[in-house]
Amino acid sequence: MHLKKAFLFPLVLWLFAAPARAQHEGHGMGMTGDSLAWRMPPMDASMPMMPELMGKMPKVGPYLPSEGMDPMMFPEARPREVVAMADGDTLDLEAGFVRRTLGGRTFVMYGYNGQYPGPLLRVKKGATIVVRFSNHIEMPTTVHWHGLRLDNRFDGVPGLTQAPVASGGTFTYEVRFPDAGIYWYHPHVREDIQQDLGLYGNMLVDPPDAGYYGPVHREEVLILDDLLVDANGLMPFGEEGPNHALMGRFGNVMLVNGAPDYRLSVRKGEVVRFFLTNVANARTFNVVFGGAPVKIVASDVSKFEREEWVGSVPIAPAERYVVEVRFDTPGTVAVTNSIQAINHFRGEFYPHVDTLGLVTVADEPVAEDLGASFATLRENADVRRDIEAFRPYFDKPVDHELVLGVDVDGLPPVVMQMMAMDTLYVPPMEWNDAMPMMNWLSSAKEVRWFLRDADSGRENMDVHWTFDEGDVVKLRIFNDPKTLHPMNHPIHIHGQRFLVLAMDGVPNANLVWKDTAIVPVGSTMDVLVDLSNPGDWMLHCHIAEHLHAGMMLAFTVRPATDGTR
Amino acid sequence: MYRNSGRRLGAAFALMLGFLMGPSGVVADALPEAVCLADPEPPAYYQIDLVPTKSVPGARMAKGVGTVTFARSPFGIAVTPEGHYEYDLAVSVEGLRPPKEGAYVVWIATPDLGTVERLGVLGEDGSVKGRVRLNKFLVVVTLEPSAETGARWTGPVALRGLSKSGYMHTMAGHGPFNQEPCANYGF
Repeated sequence: MHLKKAFLFPLVLWLFAAPARAQHEGHGMGMTGDSLAWRMPPMDASMPMMPELMGKMPKVGPYLPSEGMDPMMFPEARPREVVAMADGDTLDLEAGFVRRTLGGRTFVMYGYNGQYPGPLLRVKKGATIVVRFSNHIEMPTTVHWHGLRLDNRFDGVPGLTQAPVASGGTFTYEVRFPDAGIYWYHPHVREDIQQDLGLYGNMLVDPPDAGYYGPVHREEVLILDDLLVDANGLMPFGEEGPNHALMGRFGNVMLVNGAPDYRLSVRKGEVVRFFLTNVANARTFNVVFGGAPVKIVASDVSKFEREEWVGSVPIAPAERYVVEVRFDTPGTVAVTNSIQAINHFRGEFYPHVDTLGLVTVADEPVAEDLGASFATLRENADVRRDIEAFRPYFDKPVDHELVLGVDVDGLPPVVMQMMAMDTLYVPPMEWNDAMPMMNWLSSAKEVRWFLRDADSGRENMDVHWTFDEGDVVKLRIFNDPKTLHPMNHPIHIHGQRFLVLAMDGVPNANLVWKDTAIVPVGSTMDVLVDLSNPGDWMLHCHIAEHLHAGMMLAFTVRPATDGTR
Repeated sequence: MYRNSGRRLGAAFALMLGFLMGPSGVVADALPEAVCLADPEPPAYYQIDLVPTKSVPGARMAKGVGTVTFARSPFGIAVTPEGHYEYDLAVSVEGLRPPKEGAYVVWIATPDLGTVERLGVLGEDGSVKGRVRLNKFLVVVTLEPSAETGARWTGPVALRGLSKSGYMHTMAGHGPFNQEPCANYGF
C-alpha cells in the first residue's frame, strides 16, 4: 500500500514538475538571449534587504527555455486571431517558441499558433470541436480546457487523464461546450513556466438566446497577466520545481492580451461588454475602469442571479468575470489595477496603481443610445431556475472539509525566523509580492502547500474522494491563518461547477456558477458542487507555484448506471 | 479515429490509475456520513479586542470585541476601487454600566486620526454594526453627552482597540500600540 502511494505522489509531481535538464541541453550556442543565472529579484529599492540573505540562492537551479537562444531564430508573435468554429470543426493547435517584443525589448517566449494570447475560439453553446494539438516546445505539455464540463479523457491533466505530450508529440482533444460564457485553455504541466511564458487563450461560448446578455455596442475579451523581468531579461524559473513557492511569481510588467499597451477607442455613451480572464501565476487584480459605471453580469460558468453595480472587479488567478461598462464622459479612461500594497519593512499599506490600458472616449456620441437598458439591472430568471433544483441542498450538512496550509522546512534560518515571528498579522489577500527576496528564495524543495481533508487527515494526492454522478456535495474550505505563511488561494475544481453558498457563515445572496473561487486567509468558504460529469478530476489551488508545490487532490465521479442525469 | 485512440489512451490510464490509486493504493473514500460542523463564524484571526481605559467610571471591567466579515459582494471578497477591504464590523461590549447620562458611541479612525467615522451608538445589548472601508483602523468607544454627535468624539474613551492589521510587524517591532504581547493572541 505504501509502495503504491510512494509511487503515486512523486509521479504526479514529476508529471507536473519536471523539465528535464537533458531536454534543453544543447541550447547554449553562445548566442545572446535571456541570461540564465540566478539574480536577485526586482524589488522596491527603498526596501532594505536582510543581511543574512545576501548571496543566498534558491535551492532549485535556474531555468529558461530561451537559454542561449537567438530570438531571431523565431518568428515574431502576432496578436491573437479570432477563430469562429462550428460544431464538428477541427482546429490545429501548436505550442511553440515565439519572439516577443515588449517595451522595446526582445524575449523568447511561448505561443499557441504563434500568437499572443493563443487563438480566441468562438463557438456556440452545445458545440463540440476537435483540436489536433502538437507540442513544439522543449518540455512535455498538455492542454487543459479550464471551466469546461467536457469528457474527462480530454481534461488535459498529466498522470490523471492523459500522458503528457512529449516534445514533438501530438494529442487530439474533443472539446465540448455545454455552458455559455468565457473560458480559457492552458497547459497543466509546469504552468508556472509554460503559462507564464504565453501558453494561454480564451474560448468565448455564445448562448443560443440573443437576449442572454443585455444589449451592448461591442464586446472586448481581455486576458490579464503579468511578467517578471529585470534588466537582463526574463527572470529565470526554477528548474526541478518552481521557486517563488511561498507567494507565487508576481510579475512587474502588466499585460492585457499579452501586451503592455492595451488601447480602445469608443464613442461617448458606448456600452462595452468586457470578458475578463486572469491568467497570472499569482496576482489577484482589482480592476477599475476609471470612474465609468460598471455592471457585473456573469462569472466563470454562468450569469449571476441578478446584475449589480460594482466599483471594481477583484479577480483572482483563473477566475473570469463579465462586466458591462458605459463610457459616457469624453476623454481618456485608465483601466487600472488599484490596490493597497504592503510594505512589510514599514508595516504599512500604501496605495499602488498599475495602468493596464487606456480607453479613449470620443466627443461624438454613439449612434444608438443604450443608456436606458444599461441603467437597468437585469434579473436572470434562467439562472434562478437552474439553481432552484439545488436549493434543497443548501442546508445539507457539510460532506467534506478541507483545511489549507503550508509546511516549510529548510529555508535559510533567517527566513524561517522571520516567518515564525511575523504571525500577528497576515493580510486576507496578498495583492503584491511584499517579500520578494524571501519569496524568490523559496522553492518546492522547502515549501509544501497542502489541502488537508479534516476528516481523514490525509493531504493532497493522498486524499481521494469518490462520488456518484448526480451527487450534490457540500465542501467547506478553511484557509487556516495559523499555518506558517498563510495566503489566499483560488481553488479550482475541474470538470464540474459549484456555487459559493457562504463566506464565513454569511450566505451569498447573489449566486453564480463557478469553477474557481478565492478563499482569503482566515476565511471559511462553503461551496455546493454539482457533480454532473463522471471521471477522475482535480481540485487544486490555481496559484501555479502552489499547485506545483503540492496543493492538489484528485476525486472520482462514478458514472450513473441507471441512466439518470 | 481520434475518438478511438482517445478511448484507448483513457483505458490505459484507467489501468495505470487502477494500479496506482486502487484499493491498496490511495484509498478511495466513498461519500461518508456528512461531517457535522458548527456554522463558520467571522474569522477569529481578525477579531479586534477592545480593552478598557480608566477614563470612564464603571468601564474599567468592561471588555469587548469587534469582528469583521467581508461586506457582501459578488466577488466573495469586498474591495473598494482604491483597494481597501470593505468589512462589516460588529462590535460587542459587555461589563459596561449604562451611562447615567449620554450614550456610548463607537467610532472608527485611522491610527493617525486623520480619518474619523462614526460607526453607531451601542445598543442596550452592548452591540452595534457598521461598514468599514479601511485597511488599518482603531475602534474607539466613547461616552458622549448625547447620541447626537459631531463628526468626531468629544467625550472620554471607554474602550479602544486596533484592527489586526495594526499589529503588522515591522523590522523594528510592532505598530503603534505595542503593549499587547503576541503571546496573548496565540498567533
